[in-house]
Order: sequence, then structure tokens, then C-alpha cells
Amino acid sequence: MTDTDETPRLRLTAVSKRFGAVRAIQHADFAVRAGKVHALVGENGAGKSTMIKIVAGAETADTGEIEFDGVPARIASTTDAIGLGIATVYQEPQLFPELTVAENIFLGRELRSPLLKKVDWAAQNAKVVELLELLGLPERYATAEVGTLSVAEQQQVSIAKALASDAKVLILDEPSAILTDAEIEVLFGVIRRLTAAGVAVIYISHRLDELFRIADEVTVMRDGRTIGTYPIEDLSVRQIAHLMVGEALSDARPHRRVPEGPAVLELRGLGRAGKFRDVDVTVRKGEIVALYGLVGSGVSEIAACVYGIDHSTHGSILIKSSQVNIRSPEHAQRLGIALLPANRKVEGMFGFQSIAFNISAGHLRRMSRFGTFIDRAAERGKALELIKRLAVKTPHERQAISAMSGGNAQKVVLARQLVERPKVLVLAEPTQGVDVGAKEEIHRLITELAEEGTAVLVVTSDLPEALRIADRIQVVRGGTTTDEFGPDASQVDLLAAAAGGRE
Amino acid sequence: MSRAVRILLTQRIALLALLIVVVVVTFFINDAGGYLTAPYDFDYMSASLISAVPLAMLGLAELLVILSGRGGIDLSVGAVVSLAGMVFGFTYGEWGWPLWPAILATAGFGALCGAVNGFLVSYIGFPALIATLATFYAYKSLAIVINDQQPISTKPIQELFSLSKSVELPLFGRYVPDVPLGIFTFLLPTVVAVWLLLARTTYGRRLYAIGTNDVAARWAGLPVKDTRFKAYVYAGLISGLVAVVTVGQFASARPDAGVSGNGMALPAITIAVLGGVAITGGIGRVAGVVLATLLIVWLNAGILLAFVGNEGSQYQLLALGAVLVFAALLNGLTNRRYGGTTS
Amino acid sequence: MTAVAEAKITKRVLPPPVTGQEFVLVGVIAVVWAALAVSTPAFMTAGSIQPLLVATAPIALVGVGMTIVIITGGIDVSVGGAIMVCSVLTAKALVGSEVGLGVAALLSVLAGGLLGLVNGVLIAYGRVHAIIITFGTANLFMFLGLRIFGSGTVNGIPGTLAFFGRGPDGRTLGVPHAFLITLIITAAAWWYLRHTAGGRHFFAIGGDAQAARLAGVRVQRRTLLAYVVTGLLVGLASCFVIAQGTSTLDQSVGSGKELAVIAAVVIGGTSIMGGRGSVLGTLLGALLVQSVASGVTQLGWRSQLSDLFVGVFIIVAVGADLLRARARRNR
Repeated sequence: MTDTDETPRLRLTAVSKRFGAVRAIQHADFAVRAGKVHALVGENGAGKSTMIKIVAGAETADTGEIEFDGVPARIASTTDAIGLGIATVYQEPQLFPELTVAENIFLGRELRSPLLKKVDWAAQNAKVVELLELLGLPERYATAEVGTLSVAEQQQVSIAKALASDAKVLILDEPSAILTDAEIEVLFGVIRRLTAAGVAVIYISHRLDELFRIADEVTVMRDGRTIGTYPIEDLSVRQIAHLMVGEALSDARPHRRVPEGPAVLELRGLGRAGKFRDVDVTVRKGEIVALYGLVGSGVSEIAACVYGIDHSTHGSILIKSSQVNIRSPEHAQRLGIALLPANRKVEGMFGFQSIAFNISAGHLRRMSRFGTFIDRAAERGKALELIKRLAVKTPHERQAISAMSGGNAQKVVLARQLVERPKVLVLAEPTQGVDVGAKEEIHRLITELAEEGTAVLVVTSDLPEALRIADRIQVVRGGTTTDEFGPDASQVDLLAAAAGGRE
Repeated sequence: MSRAVRILLTQRIALLALLIVVVVVTFFINDAGGYLTAPYDFDYMSASLISAVPLAMLGLAELLVILSGRGGIDLSVGAVVSLAGMVFGFTYGEWGWPLWPAILATAGFGALCGAVNGFLVSYIGFPALIATLATFYAYKSLAIVINDQQPISTKPIQELFSLSKSVELPLFGRYVPDVPLGIFTFLLPTVVAVWLLLARTTYGRRLYAIGTNDVAARWAGLPVKDTRFKAYVYAGLISGLVAVVTVGQFASARPDAGVSGNGMALPAITIAVLGGVAITGGIGRVAGVVLATLLIVWLNAGILLAFVGNEGSQYQLLALGAVLVFAALLNGLTNRRYGGTTS
Repeated sequence: MTAVAEAKITKRVLPPPVTGQEFVLVGVIAVVWAALAVSTPAFMTAGSIQPLLVATAPIALVGVGMTIVIITGGIDVSVGGAIMVCSVLTAKALVGSEVGLGVAALLSVLAGGLLGLVNGVLIAYGRVHAIIITFGTANLFMFLGLRIFGSGTVNGIPGTLAFFGRGPDGRTLGVPHAFLITLIITAAAWWYLRHTAGGRHFFAIGGDAQAARLAGVRVQRRTLLAYVVTGLLVGLASCFVIAQGTSTLDQSVGSGKELAVIAAVVIGGTSIMGGRGSVLGTLLGALLVQSVASGVTQLGWRSQLSDLFVGVFIIVAVGADLLRARARRNR
């Protein structure tokens, strides 16, 4: 553990937070010092984001104490946090594309000249140019509309916005996930300049290898608890992975006999310019293959290509050994490919419509007479059958999906993919935002489907999930498939492979 | 009690039904008290239904496009009524086509006008408000220019006035009031067709799906653009039929039939919103639009008897505006309190 | 701030003040005027241009308010009804109590502001989409207007408002006052929208109201203001409308004006989705529409043909913008 005499800039002691029955974090301790980069790591659901929200004032802790510069502080709202000098840069920049960089940075607290309350553009721009210089951006960006900048540049604008309010603590929530290697290098340069100026940086990342280039200290979280804080010099990627995963019991997973069936789905050297390249994956009949990669590694883009939402620019996709050019989701469905989208609310759910509506959408022709009129009996029958098979908890099939829990809604969206037994089932983050019980059930169902002969491709950033259900795991890193693991691989090996530290 | 309030707030159809009862009872009482200039009875209510025909039909046209989501709306329906009405005037009144082919041509022409809207909105990506504002101007202008601002009221057209006459219903007609013919020849078939389309066909499902969430619709493999395009085509088709009704009612194909005064689009959108159609898409039913029409028609009919001269038509504006603002604020309240209206 | 940084500050502190759309509009107007000048020699005379500018004024003036409303992501389809209320109220005051120019204008502006306030309160605090509320208030305003009309028309309106009119009293150095006032107000609004925090906040609200709220923008107050300003301008525009007319005001006053104003705003390059727009473009849009209308009449074509051009202009203007946006995304 780190020990210093110095008063930390921000210290959280024994902080806990529950959401209903879920203990998001318990007795977590955390401290950042001025001029240091403090990395916060943990698997999905370990409590990192709740921790960040408490610091940023977006959530309030149930119990525990927060000290700022050694003085007890109360952070009940985002305004409180900003008042203390805590600034947060979220993954999705909250900027106004039609306004200039300078305007975005000063929105809501414009500098005004006394005359007619006019915005003092010169003063604002001068300040912005200063910030841009610090960030290594050309000064002409000050007057550029944000909408014309790249994602990476927009993120830097968000950082500049945070700095314009004289931030003492800067939270960066997975800043590297959407950046290229060169952009990450620029980001690190910025962080170093900030720490040199005395800013305390809380750095969240899934990419463990990069911590060794930027972090001073690392706090590891697991299951809502802080496991410990260590100087980065004392750790290796494998050790961090070990701390994140814990003394993982080898999951009591019944070992399935995978039949050596014919290849159903093959991706050969598949690529999409700027997104991913040279992806090779084969899924056989009855097999479950996991594509495991961190957020931003390109996994989700691969899934979109297999389903015809995006189009590949290189390589080929083969279904049952014959090459196909998948034009649209509709075409993918005709080829026997079904896909469970990653973002349930946006890409999956028809909010205020019924369960039956949600299940039959996309299979309307199959549930119709003469291809025109809905066969309501068939629709209802199919809905009831799938509700039963997936154990959806609901009084009736007319219930609106928006009123259901995450796990139940996910089952309904999954049920849609099973109406016409697919040859290939692609599942993108099948259990994200799903409670433990439903997660268990969804995993069991996936295994059943494979046993019935479906070729299953699970695209996931959830490590235990990949290990638990897959017969083979393909690691995706930096937009390409790297290593392959069997079901007996250790979590530490997998995490190290995906996070980029191989020793 | 709170359950009743909840139902009234969340079930638009229940609220509209209650309001209709309140309106009708109020005017019956006023009638009995002798405060009205003419009797407000079932015969009068039935006769006043003639004005429900274009209103409800265009309300259904708006229902279809608003359901399609992404700010769906059609400001051009009135202009399509004018222009298609001129087409009907030419084909039936001037060129001597038989009635049915002329009606089909008019409806088809309306559908073509709708297809222009649908193409601009769905395939090119114009905001619906803009695309239909533009076509409103274009169609309105063409309708006037096409026959040099002259209405067509030749003999065959004048004889069409019989369309708006009232008829006795078969079998039990003696016991109930006569009903305007247009209700049977145009309104009921349209209501049934739109209801079937929305509630019973795969197209209806697709329309609700894209209106609810068009990203999810794409991921579910639904033809989003094609579905949205067709909503505008159907709205145009209905406007074409309304053109025939309107020509019959005026016994003349007037080049400004659908755009004079307030035009026909504003009342139609008002009826749709009052009927519980969510402007954001995906929510709305045929029954809501029909009940909203009945409410407004019978309210208007009563107001005409309650005031002398053109005061009545003025108070109709007040009633329409007040009911719409009330319904809109109610929707806002319902969204906050109960998480939305279901129909 | 170091001296070095000070020296390095770009000369430009803002994006270019005039966007492509405005240049294009100026070009299109120039072409239309040139074509008319060639085909009808009478066009390029004061007797033809002055009425054109006078007729542009009310649409462009209300367009200033409408532009702000649309920038915030709203819309106001009740301005036609509001023009009716303000016009008839003012006309009756002129006839009945023989008030002076100032009092009449003030009355009209205040009445318009009040109507705008009704819209603004309902939209900003009622959390209902602007188009629905203003469809409703459009009916209410028309009711109000017709009630004030009573039966028939308002006759015998004195020439009190001739200062805003077509006649020689309505011009200084040949420039119609109505157009001059519109020009001044447009310029002031342009400056306000471009150079003050309050003005910039309208754009932020239209871009993302929720994010704007988090950034400290007082969204509800700003929204309310947009509709009140529109109402005030409707009041002034109503004076122009009375002054342009004869001594009789009939019940069709204001009818259809809401769509004419929205058309001018849209042709001027303001995005109906909010967050982007320019009052200068709106003025040019209104001028273009009026030029075409005037040209169509002078060429001896049926006047309603100009509406066809309006429709085409809307499609072309917005279509070009859509293509530009698509090109920017694919860049």
C-alpha cells in the first residue's frame, strides 16, 4: 500500500452505495494526490463507474466520508463537485457541434465585456488558445465548429472545457477507448503537462498496458470493493489482472462435448477501413465461439459487419463454405443469421410496444396470412412459447417491454432472434445490464441452442462470460484477432492478452 | 376514484368518450331549456356528420404519417385535396370519364402527390415539416394555375351533390335518423381500411415499429424507408378521396377547396393530436381519431345553434383551440405522472 | 496570459459572419432581379422596388422572431392568428379613438407580446411540443381576432400609420421606413445572436436542451423569451400590414402568414431541427420570395404561380443543406 505524509487532494473513506438490492460499492477507500495520475481499474461491474459518479456528484454515497484537501466535503450534486474543482470527461463528449470550440468551452459562463454585455471573444479566445497550446492543438481550432472535429479532438475539447474551470481533480473515464495509438500518445502528453501543473488525475482504463506509461498509482476494484492501492512500479500486467479477477474459482461449468461439425460461419481476413482488419474467425455447427475484446477494440464493429449493418471493405464472409456479400440485416436474416444487438434500448427494444410485438417484429411474414394479414393466433402462440422457453417473467404477452426489468427485456429481444431457428446466432454483449439470475438463464439458453446445432458467436467484453460459455475464445485487440484460447484458459491469461501485456 | 382518473388520463379513448357524452348532454339540456336557435336532437346530430367525412379522413391521413415517426407530419393534405379535386373536375366534369375511373384516377393522383412527399422525407431525408410545406405551396399553386383560377362545375359535377344527401338506413332505418350518404360511401370504408391496415396487417406492424424506434427497426431487418414512404403515399391517397367528397359537397371543383381560410391540414392535425396520436410517432389509433372527430363535429354543431350568425363559427375556433391545448397539456401531465398515454 | 500567446491570437475570433447559404441567396436574388430587369424594364424603377421592399418587411420582421424560435428547436404556427389580433385591435383603436402613431404602434406591440407570452409560458413550462401548442393557440388567436372584428370588416381606417406605408409619407430618401426598420431590427438581432451570451444560448438550446441546462443555460427562460420576442415583432409587423392596406381591414388578414414566414426562414438556411440559423438569411429569404412574387405579376403570369417557386426554393435550399451535411459527415 502507498504511504505518504502528504494530505491527498481528494480522499474517499469507507464509501458505500446501493441501488435497490444491488450493492454497487461497499466500504471503498480511495485517495488521489495532487500532480499524480491515479488509475482505477476493475472488471465490468466492479463498481468503477459508481465510484466516479460519486466523486463527480452524479450520485450521492449512502455512507462514508469525502475529504478535499483534508477538509470534510459534501458532494450532493454536480454543481458541488464543480465548485470543488472536480471536472469529469465522460466517454461521450457532451458538446454542441454547431458551436465553436471556444463557445463550447465557455458555454454558460461566458466572459463578457462591460459594453452591452457582449461576449468578450478576444479574452475567451486568448484563454482557449492557451488551453489548446497546453493540449497540443493548433490555435485555429478555437474558432472551428466542434462538429467539424474528429472524435479524438472533441475529447480533447472536453478536457479543455474541464480545465477552463481550473480543475484541481480531473476524471478521465476510459479516454483511450475511442482513440488510435497516435492519439493516445497525444493524450498522455496532455496528462503529463497537467500533472506537472499540479492537477490530480483519476484515470479509468481497461487497457492495462498503458497504465505503465501514464499512471503513478493503481487502485484495483473487484465486486464493489477496493482491493488495494499500489505504486505502479510494484505491479505487472499479470499481477493487475490477477488482482482484478481475484482467486477465481474455476467455474463449475459442465464440459460440453463439441462435435467436430462443419464450419457454418467463417470470417477470412475481414476488415473495414479505420475500424478493424485481418479478422479470422470460424464457428462450427453447434459451437460457441467468443470474440473477447475491450471496449474500443473493434469487436462490436465486427458484429455489425456480419449482420449487414455496416459493410466490410476487405476479406470475405462465408456461410456454409460459400462466400456471401451481406447487404442488409434483412439479407443477413434470409441467410440464417440472427443478431442480438449490444445496445438494448436503442437497437433492440420497441419501447412502449408489447412483448408479442417485440418478438414478432422482423418475422412478420412468417406470422401472416398471404404475407399481408397478421396471423394473431400464430403470433400469440410463438410469443407464449418463447416467453415460456426463456422464462420471461410477465403476466401476459401484451405487457409493454418498457415496463420490464433489464433482464426480462433482454430475454424478449433475444426471443426475437429465435423465432426462426437461426443457423448462426451472433450475440453482442448478451448480458449487459442484466441481473445475475437472468444472466445465468441466458447463458444456459445459449448453451442449449448450441447443443441443438446453432453456430453461436458471442461478442463480449465480459471476461467471465467468455470463459463460462465459449468453447473457444478469440481475443481481439487493436482491431484484429490475436490469440486463441480454449475453455480451460485462465482469466489472467485472457485479460493479459486483451489488455496488451504479454510477458 | 383515483383509478377512474388514471384511466381517463391514460386511456385517450375513455376520455374522448366521456367528453362526447358531456358535450351531447350539455346541448340536450340547453335544447330542452330553449336556449338554442334550433333543436339539437339525433336528426341534427346525424345531419351534422357530413362535416365529419373530410375531417376524419384527413385525420386518418395524418395518423398514418405522424405514426411513422421522425417528426412525421403532412402540411400538404389540403393542397392535395385542391389539386386532386381539379383532376377529378377535369376527368369527370370535363372529359366525361365514367364516375369510377374518375375516382380511381383522382385517388391515384393523390397517392402520387403523397409519393413526392414520401420520397423527399424517407429517401432524401427532408424533415417532414419542410418537405410538406414546400409541396403545400407547389400543389396549391398548381391547383389554381391549372385551370386559370376557374372552378369546374359542369353538369355531371353538380349532380354529384347527391353524395352529401342524407339517406335512410336499410332494415332499421325507420327507427334511427337519416345519415349522410358520404359516411357510407367514403368515411366508413376509409375507417375500416385504415383500421385493418394498422391493426391487422404486417404493414401496420412495421409502421408502428419504425415510429416507435427506427434504429431498432433497422436492426430487426425491417424496411424502414419503404415503410415510411408508403405512409405518405397512403395519406395522399386518402386526400385524393377527400377531394372527390369535397367536389361533391360544393357541387364544384374549386381550385382553393383545401386551402381556403385555415385550410384542411391544420384541423386534420388537430384532430389527430386530440385523438391521442403522439407527435413523436409510434402511438395512435383509428378509434381515437374517429372519436376526436365526433367530439369536434358535435361540439361545433351545438355551438352553431347556441350563437346567432357568424358568432357560432367563431366560437368553433375557440372550442377547437381550447380542446387542443387542453389535450396537449394533459399529455404532458400524463407523461410525467403515469409514463405516457397508451392510445 | 503570456505576451507570446497574445501575439499569436488569430485575427479571426469567430467563424465567418456570413455562411454559404447567404451568399447563394444574394446570388439568386441578383439573378432574379437581373432577369426581371431585362424582361420588364419597369422592374428596375423606384416605383417597382419600393413596394417590393415594403411588402417584404412584415414577413422578414416576423421572420426574425421565427428564426430565433426555430433556432431553439421550436416553431410558432400561431403568428398568422396573432397578426390578425394585433391588426384588428390596432385598426379599431385607430378608427374608434383616433390614437396617434406612437400609441397605436405601442398597443399593437404590447398585444403581440402578450400573445407571445401565452405561447412561451405554455411551451416552456407545459413541456408540450411547440407545434401542438401553437396549432392550438392559432385557433384561439383567430377566435379572439374574429371576436374583435365583430361582423364584417373594419372600415375607414385613418392614415395614421402612413409612416410605415407605401405612400410618400412612408419613405425617407426613397427608402421605405418599414423596410428600414426591419433592416435595423434584423441587424440588431443578428448582432445579439452572434455576440452575446444570451444569443449564443439560443443555439445551445436548439443543439441539446438537456446538455445546455447542465452547462448552466436557463433553458425555460430563454425559450419563453424567444416566443415573447416573436410576439412583439408580430405586433410591429401588424402595423406595417395595416399601413400597406387600404382603409379597410378584412377578416382574411394574417391568414397563411405563418407558412410564408416559415418558408422565408427555411429558405434563409435556418435548420428546422434547431441549433443553426441566421436572421440575415431570413431577410434574404423573404426578399427572394417577394421578388419572385413581384416578378411573376410583372411578367403577367398568374400571381399564384409564385407559390410554386416558393415550394421549389424550399426544396432546393434545404436539399442543398442536406447534401452539405451528408458531405461533412462522410469527410
